[in-house]
Amino acid sequence: MSSTADKALGLLRFLPRVCLANIRNNPGAVKKSKRGRAQHGGDKHGCGNKGSGQRQNFMRLGYETGNNPFYLRFPREPYYKGHHLKRQYPPLSMLDLQKLIDTNRLDDSKPIDLVAILNTGLYKLAPDQHQFGVQLTDEGADIFCAKINLEVQWANELVIAAIEKAGGVVTTAYYDMHSLQAMLNPKKFFERGVPIPRRMMPPPDAIMYYSDPSKRGYLADPAEISKERLVLAQKYGYNLPKIEDDPSYQMLTERKDPRQIFYGLHPGWVVNLKDKVILKPEEEILVKYYNT
Amino acid sequence: MAVVPLKLAKLINQNYSRVCPKLVQIVRPSSYRTSGFLEDLDLKTKYEVTKDPVDWSYVERALPPTLVPHPVKKDRYASGWKPQAENLTHMPYFIERTKNHMIPVYLHRDMRGTRKTTYVRKIQGDIFKLHKELVEFLQKETIYPIRSQVNEFTGIIRIAGDYVNAVKYWLEQRNF
Repeated sequence: MSSTADKALGLLRFLPRVCLANIRNNPGAVKKSKRGRAQHGGDKHGCGNKGSGQRQNFMRLGYETGNNPFYLRFPREPYYKGHHLKRQYPPLSMLDLQKLIDTNRLDDSKPIDLVAILNTGLYKLAPDQHQFGVQLTDEGADIFCAKINLEVQWANELVIAAIEKAGGVVTTAYYDMHSLQAMLNPKKFFERGVPIPRRMMPPPDAIMYYSDPSKRGYLADPAEISKERLVLAQKYGYNLPKIEDDPSYQMLTERKDPRQIFYGLHPGWVVNLKDKVILKPEEEILVKYYNT
Repeated sequence: MAVVPLKLAKLINQNYSRVCPKLVQIVRPSSYRTSGFLEDLDLKTKYEVTKDPVDWSYVERALPPTLVPHPVKKDRYASGWKPQAENLTHMPYFIERTKNHMIPVYLHRDMRGTRKTTYVRKIQGDIFKLHKELVEFLQKETIYPIRSQVNEFTGIIRIAGDYVNAVKYWLEQRNF
């Protein structure tokens, strides 16, 4: 122990008991809410003379104090036209995913989907800001060795190869904004007592991606996907592990319906967490609505 | 036209709507706060109440865990993450892992993102010894003197500059 702590403890032994009556705040703990006047910190009130120190008017990006700014000086080239309307997929690296599995935040004995990733609390998503799910990036693809059944929203070729080399399966799946809102916090969603929404089909500009077998889209033909798995294995030069012979074949082949949000729970069901029951609609019109 | 609450308006309109179609005006609450609770609309939707344990297991799978799970012990972790060693009682100081099982070393940025400060938190025991050894190690990486501060009471060491990875590496070497 340091001498400071020792001295303080030694002092305490000879002093009366510490109680509310004989302690005081640390110096500077209570801040004066008043602005100093006259000789007591008046004049400039500690903010210096003029300018941004007094006014906190930090200039906006690109502003050149009255010059014709650089970004307006030349004719416009609309590279980023409509950028505020485009779908975003915030990244999650394969290294992070491996770390989540290593620290037992994700259970690799069950299929890993967006709900599982969000439930770790270590990945944030804001559907209202046009964020539509996880983009798995290839950082750490060379060390990745978990055998998982993964469902992400965006993955490139190297990521798909790395997962399939390790004996896993990957699917890319689209969720609309309302489904994502339910997935953000399933507990909160179930407590609302509303039926589980049905997942919408991807918008026209995304339907090609999600029905492409080389992207492992969830709307692609499974036979085409197994062919593409072999093609990718040959391209990257690894032996494709046979998932048919795998002991966890059941887990690796578990898939969601294109209308489904949570594994095993169908759209239209209402989950009652208090009584631990599930209400399933029987009205013909509702059954028809949620099945199509 | 009379102005009446919603429930009364519904009653009147049900009974006298044929006589006078626009007898009363339904009050619309001015805000969400002032609006009443949703009334039972007597909808007769048919539904089945089930207690199937298989279905319920899927509900439980979707629910977030209430506690951070403990890592499973393995010989090797692919991601490079290592659990804290168990026999650290002989060390003069100790650094507790965070609830997420990570080393509590952080980078703070202030002055509109220009000033970087490394924080080492959750230090127990002889913090001054740790500080001395840490600065000795970090001093090898730079020609400038390492500026640092020890807060013994809160168990925090502050180091001016970004030394997060260096400090984490040093602590990992010592199995913290």
